[in-house]
Amino acid sequence: MSRQYEIPVGAQHISLLEPLHFKFTTENERIVNTTANVFYVHRGIEKACCTKFKFRQVSFVVGRVCGLCSISHTTAYSQVAEKLIKIEVPRRAKYLRMLVIELDRIHSHLLCLSHVAENSGFEALFMKTMEYREAFMELLEAVCGNRIQYDFSIVGGVARDLSARVAQMIRDRFKIFKPQLDELVDIFQNNWSLSLKNKRAGAITVKDAMRLNVVGPFARAAGLAIDVRNETEDLLPWKEVGFKIVTETAGDVYARNLVRLREIYVSLRIIENVINGLPESALITETKAFPDGEAVVRLEAPRGELFYYAKGNKTQVLERLKIKAPTFSNISAMVEGFKGNEYGSVPAIIASYDPCLSCTAR
Amino acid sequence: MKRIDTSIENVKNEIRDFYHPGLHHFIVMNAVDLGEKIEVQWFFSNYTEPYEITVFCASITPDVEVPTIKDIISSAWVAEAELTDLMNIKIENTEKGFVLEPDFETGPLRKKN
Repeated sequence: MSRQYEIPVGAQHISLLEPLHFKFTTENERIVNTTANVFYVHRGIEKACCTKFKFRQVSFVVGRVCGLCSISHTTAYSQVAEKLIKIEVPRRAKYLRMLVIELDRIHSHLLCLSHVAENSGFEALFMKTMEYREAFMELLEAVCGNRIQYDFSIVGGVARDLSARVAQMIRDRFKIFKPQLDELVDIFQNNWSLSLKNKRAGAITVKDAMRLNVVGPFARAAGLAIDVRNETEDLLPWKEVGFKIVTETAGDVYARNLVRLREIYVSLRIIENVINGLPESALITETKAFPDGEAVVRLEAPRGELFYYAKGNKTQVLERLKIKAPTFSNISAMVEGFKGNEYGSVPAIIASYDPCLSCTAR
Repeated sequence: MKRIDTSIENVKNEIRDFYHPGLHHFIVMNAVDLGEKIEVQWFFSNYTEPYEITVFCASITPDVEVPTIKDIISSAWVAEAELTDLMNIKIENTEKGFVLEPDFETGPLRKKN
């Protein structure tokens, strides 16, 4: 029998963007076992939301759960609070929420793809992808006022309108970006050494994805057609603006790259449909009601299903707020996905999981 | 949201009868401090019924051990480990030290803390 070695990776490591700790047991460079630990960044946000802040202020607090997908948190929280105070959001606000969620998804997917490229040893592709992503950071700033942590969704609606000038800016940027996206697809799909590195790396089957309750692009790359946008038409009219689910079957790093790239095309179509068909209405529904009862909301964040549970007690402060981030659901599959792979593939596999510990540990 | 109230003694069997990996998606486990009691909740969605969310609820006193569902849903260890730390409740075959430091004594999501 070969000798086994234990290799710790994280909480700070060159190939990890997040404070996650893995311990790999390897035998002849092949991973035979993995453990994961996340106890480095718990910030007590759920506790703060139920003790320090009034329920209308909480949307600004949960926007700080994550820099990358803050619009998903503020929107999911606003939706769950709106259920508790029993109000309907104006139609224009729903469309604007979808616009920012999809802009956010594009920049998040491009960030993940750039890190997969970097961790696969392609620094030039990392820089190219980050350069293309920058256009979306600027668009988000133009729409929301901030590059990250945009306090755009608020309880009852949205905080800002979309001007005709910014809508035109989005259209103009998309004209430039579409050929750039085609170029990225070509590289990620056809570059021989990149695909050699990414194919079969970190693969899980659709059966494993179901058994381990995987969510987001991680699940869809394995062939599990789970996307909350398909299931929450009552909260945001996704199908009306052209949402289509994207899946692959191989379940490896290569398939995850392709799912994210193809989802960017879907996001571009949704955004174009939103700005071309933006309904005229108020931006917010005003009410003086207090939250009562309990409610849950699911929202498809860039990494998968984001889940919010809230319980109100007819006061300004919530009784309980529970946040379940997508990475939280994927930890089990992350651990299993490493098994059987060479240790040298670990950086690319980690990046393809797109983990967000800031969300997970809150 | 379909709420199924049950006892802590029966909840594991009810989840075992309900859960099918090809049909149900385990979302998360949650707990709410109600003062004297703690309500423990297990949330599920359905792959084929998009709007269906089922939640199993069981109330316990803080000294009661919650049965693990890891033998039914292997990925549930993450949710059980988090709840053990943040709520300071006992869950079968689950140790502290996943979200907080292992020597962290109090559950920050309990009302008294």
